[in-house]
Amino acid sequence: MRILLIEPDALLGKTYAKALEAAGHAVYPVRNAQAAIIAADEHPLDLVIMELQLPSHNGIAFLQEFRSYHDWSDIPVVFHTFAPPHSQDSAQAIVAKQYGVTAWLYKPQTTLAQLLSIVHRHAVEIS
Amino acid sequence: MKQLVTDVIILARTDYGEADRILTVLSPEYGKLRLLAKGVRRVKSKLAGGIELFSVSTITFVKGRGEIGTLVSTRLSKHYSQIVKDLQRTMLGYELIKQLNKTIEDEPEPEYFELLHQAFEALDDHTVPLSLVSMWFAAQLTRLGGHTPNLQTDEQGRKLVSDQLYDFDSEHMRFVTNPLDGAFTANHIKFLRLLYAGNTPKAMMQVQGIGKMLVDCSPLFAVR
Repeated sequence: MRILLIEPDALLGKTYAKALEAAGHAVYPVRNAQAAIIAADEHPLDLVIMELQLPSHNGIAFLQEFRSYHDWSDIPVVFHTFAPPHSQDSAQAIVAKQYGVTAWLYKPQTTLAQLLSIVHRHAVEIS
Repeated sequence: MKQLVTDVIILARTDYGEADRILTVLSPEYGKLRLLAKGVRRVKSKLAGGIELFSVSTITFVKGRGEIGTLVSTRLSKHYSQIVKDLQRTMLGYELIKQLNKTIEDEPEPEYFELLHQAFEALDDHTVPLSLVSMWFAAQLTRLGGHTPNLQTDEQGRKLVSDQLYDFDSEHMRFVTNPLDGAFTANHIKFLRLLYAGNTPKAMMQVQGIGKMLVDCSPLFAVR
């Protein structure tokens, strides 16, 4: 799979990218929203894995922009974030649904193996 | 063709073809405009920066024969950069833009431009509570739409007084006397008068007990 990885922390980004690449995926790691839009414009994508808390523009701002392009409107997005998932009726959950977020992984409680398993599930779905 | 210059706030964006975008913008002089922004999707385009949604830009555009004009240039006048540093503020900001876009027609109505401008100012200031911004915005939309509730007299046409309790009749947009267990006092009504008078959210924060007022008056603004 071709994965856009939006992770502002350099060390974490490197770790996730390495693990995803080792699992056979092509990874485009970026650290902010603007770089993510540029990377999405340059590479065809199958999945976006993103932190919500980004420098200068947060993840919701990125998603607003990202989803306003027709050719990016169906690409699944996984939140892998330090922002805790809220109850189903919270504003964040509603927004996540609105923007086609397929999974909300709370970083402190998500192992690398769980992240890889979610990615694998998406790979199976699109194959 | 004559080039026109105006301040705008972006309401919506969608892509058009390989590299172009159609922007829906709100201008105080020209109302709601749909403009073709050529090449904005190309990273090096001088019109790029589509992510900057919470901002006021000065644009130059040409009116087209049809519904869609063409954007010539843009210059960012004011960007409310603090909004996108907070997820909840960002989400409310998008919601307010969406609500306004649905409400307004294409005719020039400078009040709506000013309303959104003031909403951005309030969202950008993290000391202004989101519940206040949300309630204030709903009140201003109602006011501009000509549906301000009657805040002067009750169902009998009697002046609202300070030693009485009231309930709110949302169907007739007025207060009705309920001396035994009415939910609203004179203080609530004063607060609502200030809210509907068009004061800014920052100014509304001077109201004593604003937190309680927001909680007590929230049923009046629940989606019906």
